[in-house]
Amino acid sequence: MGSWIVGDWPSFDPHNFSQLRPNDPSKKTPITYHPTHERTLPPPDQVISSEAKNILLRQFYQRGDEKLRPKRAAPENLAPEQESKHPRASVASSSEPHK
Amino acid sequence: MSTYNYVVTAHKPTNVTHSCVGNFTGPQELNLIIAKCTRIEIHLLTPEGLQPLLDVPIYGRIATLELFRPHGETQDLLFIATERYKFCVLQWDADASELITRCLGDVSDRIGRPTDNGQIGIIDPDCRLIGLHLYDGLFKVIPFDNKGQLKEAFNIRLEELQVLDIKFLYGCPKPTIVVLYQDNKDARHVKTYEVSLKDKDFVEGPWFQNNLDNGADLLIPVPPPFCGVLIIGEETIVYCSASAFKAIPIRPSITRSYGRVDADGSRYLLGDLSGLLHLLVIVHEKEKVTGLKIELLGETSVASTISYLDNAFVYVGSSYGDSQLIKLNLQPDAKGSYVEVLEKYVNLGPIVDFCVVDLERQGQGQVVTCSGAYKDGSLRIVRNGIGINEQASVELQGIKGMWSLRSATDDLYDTFLVVSFISETRILAMNLEDELEETEIEGFCSQLQTLFCHDAVHNQLVQVTSSSVRLVSSTSRELRHEWHAPADYSINVATANATQVLLATRGGHLVYLEIGDGILVEKKHAQLKYDISCLDINPIGENPNYSNLAAVGMWTDISVRIFSLPDLNLITEEHLGGEIIPRSVLLCAFEGIPYLLCALGDGHLLNFLLNTSTGELTDRKKVSLGTQPITLRTFSSKNTSHVFAASDRPTVIYSSNKKLLYSNVNLKEVSYMCPFNSAAFTDSLAIAKEGELTIGTIDDIQKLHIRTIPLGEHARRICHQEQSRTFAICSLKYNQSSTEDSEMHFIRLLDDQTFDFISTYALDQFEYGCSILDCSFSDDNNAYYCVGTAYVMPEENEPTKGRILVFVVEDGKLQLVAEKETKGAVYSLNAFNGKLLAAINQKIQLYKWMLRDDGTRELQSECGHHGHILALYVQTRGDFIVVGDLMKSISLLIYKHEEGAIEERARDYNANWMSAVEILDDDVYLGAENNFNLFTVRKNSEGATDEERGRLEVVGEYHLGEFVNRFQHGSLVMRLPDSDVGHIPTIIFGTVNGVIGVIASLPQDQYIFMEKLQTNLRKVIKGVGGLSHEQWRSFYNEKKTADSKNFIDGDLIESFLDLGRNRMEEISKSMNVSVEELMKRVEELTRLH
Repeated sequence: MGSWIVGDWPSFDPHNFSQLRPNDPSKKTPITYHPTHERTLPPPDQVISSEAKNILLRQFYQRGDEKLRPKRAAPENLAPEQESKHPRASVASSSEPHK
Repeated sequence: MSTYNYVVTAHKPTNVTHSCVGNFTGPQELNLIIAKCTRIEIHLLTPEGLQPLLDVPIYGRIATLELFRPHGETQDLLFIATERYKFCVLQWDADASELITRCLGDVSDRIGRPTDNGQIGIIDPDCRLIGLHLYDGLFKVIPFDNKGQLKEAFNIRLEELQVLDIKFLYGCPKPTIVVLYQDNKDARHVKTYEVSLKDKDFVEGPWFQNNLDNGADLLIPVPPPFCGVLIIGEETIVYCSASAFKAIPIRPSITRSYGRVDADGSRYLLGDLSGLLHLLVIVHEKEKVTGLKIELLGETSVASTISYLDNAFVYVGSSYGDSQLIKLNLQPDAKGSYVEVLEKYVNLGPIVDFCVVDLERQGQGQVVTCSGAYKDGSLRIVRNGIGINEQASVELQGIKGMWSLRSATDDLYDTFLVVSFISETRILAMNLEDELEETEIEGFCSQLQTLFCHDAVHNQLVQVTSSSVRLVSSTSRELRHEWHAPADYSINVATANATQVLLATRGGHLVYLEIGDGILVEKKHAQLKYDISCLDINPIGENPNYSNLAAVGMWTDISVRIFSLPDLNLITEEHLGGEIIPRSVLLCAFEGIPYLLCALGDGHLLNFLLNTSTGELTDRKKVSLGTQPITLRTFSSKNTSHVFAASDRPTVIYSSNKKLLYSNVNLKEVSYMCPFNSAAFTDSLAIAKEGELTIGTIDDIQKLHIRTIPLGEHARRICHQEQSRTFAICSLKYNQSSTEDSEMHFIRLLDDQTFDFISTYALDQFEYGCSILDCSFSDDNNAYYCVGTAYVMPEENEPTKGRILVFVVEDGKLQLVAEKETKGAVYSLNAFNGKLLAAINQKIQLYKWMLRDDGTRELQSECGHHGHILALYVQTRGDFIVVGDLMKSISLLIYKHEEGAIEERARDYNANWMSAVEILDDDVYLGAENNFNLFTVRKNSEGATDEERGRLEVVGEYHLGEFVNRFQHGSLVMRLPDSDVGHIPTIIFGTVNGVIGVIASLPQDQYIFMEKLQTNLRKVIKGVGGLSHEQWRSFYNEKKTADSKNFIDGDLIESFLDLGRNRMEEISKSMNVSVEELMKRVEELTRLH
């Protein structure tokens, strides 16, 4: 059972493991790496830190930006907000002549 | 005072936590990269198998290891994130063979609750961002720009607080994560979110799936064409995507790791906690998922990571057993398994407990660990140095030299063993019964001491005595030619190879002979100013029978000289300095590099790189091997040539990665050694020691030797008893029956030579073995094993009942002689003033060993001390008791004999959660805690006020980066009282990652010197990925971060020896200490482990 799924194993390079000698005593322990070069330091623009603003402040600023923007933008951009404000605006404008 | 401590690794971490496969070292090279907590290893896939390229220390505990390839790159980059919230991106520069740092970052937040289920780090398959889940309720995003560079990171609020796994989905137009989480009713669901990089927020994802398997714990993202995700539960596996939902039931199991087999994501290897390997297959039709199938492949170590390599070979990384290279066969074997284990990579982790014993009684400690977990539990015997396995031995006093000879030049094996004494020479040979018996070589002179012997060309042997050089036929054994030393010029020292003889006579005469067929020809003579102390003409050039160089050691001016052959021209003269004459010189080559070794009369060894064409000697290094004169000899083992340094501290000198290494031989004193490769004793050595001639084989040449005793169950406590020559362990065995999982706890007795179970005591149901002790009591000479237990009831938060069991070993059996019920778990037991000191939940309790009227014994409570959260670890010294508490750090108690009471004397008021304690000396105590730190505290007896005296002052702090489970006094190496490091007290520790380490308390001046060296090394040896060594070693927990103090990192110090000469000189200059002196002092410290 299962031979149709157990098998046909992927091969990237058919030579890999073709001459494996298990527990070959000549296998070496890897060299321990101790870099002494200067390129262990990243390029100056690739020293990453987290944004200092926390999420709440960021959202305040984002909302602020959004509020600023629609004043000049077309009203359909922020349709729900416009709708809720519309009656008041109309009230305000219509109330003026009454004074 | 043991305030100044040197921490060094004797055995590196072996617990494999992560692995990945990709093209890291070159576009065409396939690499396996594995993480062992604080190190990564880079391997190359080759026809011969996995070839280890590099072992890279990382200054952090690796939380994430991922290969990825940003757009436009031809090879993969490596992303590493550490538990202390640093990350880096590494790239391999193939031209320079260096790891370079592409990016370095800090992703810590000032506020945030670290996740309970570990850190998650994932990379979008389309390389748009890296996602990290480090704190509850937050998802951190590090975006890539369009050039593949990383940009400033930001947080997104994640509503799900109990996250089990997060993965990126493949094939989504916007980066999309899938989150597996548990709600506040403990139900598990998955949910998807799109990451909007512009708004820095989540947008509801394309799909979700509620009410999954309650054990669902692992997500596997499926690449195109199918996409979607596999959700691995304990009883079901589910495939989920926006358009499909398929589920299959599985046999109950906890899957911990997976490895993708096919690039199209149709097959996965799954590894579970019982070590079973399954193949999960996505059944599909026309790129549509139609179902799932699962097939059991076989058994491996319990896998923590699985990487499909190539051509059916798979790497299985394990935290609980040895890691493995396995092959998936097309046909099952007789047991129905498709899995063939081809290689095993030793893993000592987790070391839960260990003891230090001297089983061979050679004065050298061995560590016996409780290693591994579940079915992969084992004992490991870890021994430093190289063992000699004795095959035969005869009593022979006064040996002055030994050589082995063949009976024909072309023989494979040695026949004769020439043994020289002060006034005679005896010849031993193997007889037909493979016994060593005395024989004769007629042409040899047996009435004189032999100075040197060698096989020579044309089936000849050469013997040098004080009066002559004799050339003898090895077949007829008759003398063929003889060269006589001039009268009054007796030969002092001599050496030879197959075609050449070099000898020195009284008065500084150096004579060079060549060996012909039946003739010795004096070719050259030179008169030197002083007498000659030692000589060598070992061929290291192309001709194995002829040397172009001769090395000569001199009396009086204490020098070593190199002469050219055959003309005996002096080409190099090197003054050794000091007043100790060279006693043995040797020309040799390791890994193709020629060296000159020169051993002095005081146990020091100098080595030089030798330029064979100019005779120039460079890179002088000095090490101290012993205290007595050394004799150097080459030998070969497994086709590699090594050097044996015979002395009071026999040592094998070998080379690894072009660096000379010195490994102790586990023998007390060896005066002479020669290789003896006879048909009966192949690859053996003849060793002259302490009035005895021994023939034995030698262990593999490596520093630490590890022997594995598989138990098939999990050993948790171990202790050795000298009297009965046994070990006792507390262990547990998991029984997985089809219906229910259960575990059984045992006390097992093992023979300390064979490691066989010889007796077993089964504990009650729910009863765990917590502590074990070998002790005896006052007024009773018997040795007992005391075992502390706890009844761990499912409904109790803390055990409320336990037992102390007292066993005696009789006829190889455990006999229960007394038992005492306790009101909690007996976490620790100590022998204390002829009584038994137990730590039971919050209390420290002292028991007397009382004789009853009927002659039996019982434990009787004498006094106790309350006031701990849980007293977990206890050490005693005299009347002092040091307690390591679950969460209240270290406290010091004192036992007052007169009052029969235990009182608190002082405590450390920090809130450290302890994992081990040990007493360094009367005043200084060492602790390890659960944030991977070490610290020392000091008793303040001279404090002016009670308050001051009652406070243990923190004197040392250090981030080890390892979870220490046990400290033990002792040493892995034989300690010579008169050597420089012989007086340094050491403690061994064992950790979860399988590290065995040594903490050495240095004298203050040595500590200050090494600390200065550490400061200088930090400037020269850079942290991989730009990570800082200083930050890494700083003490770190949730409350504080503080610079390390009064601990130095021996691993960094000892890496000085791996530096190139220029870098060494750089450090030498800024330290104002010669390179040779620095090397000698560092090399000395390496001899501590």
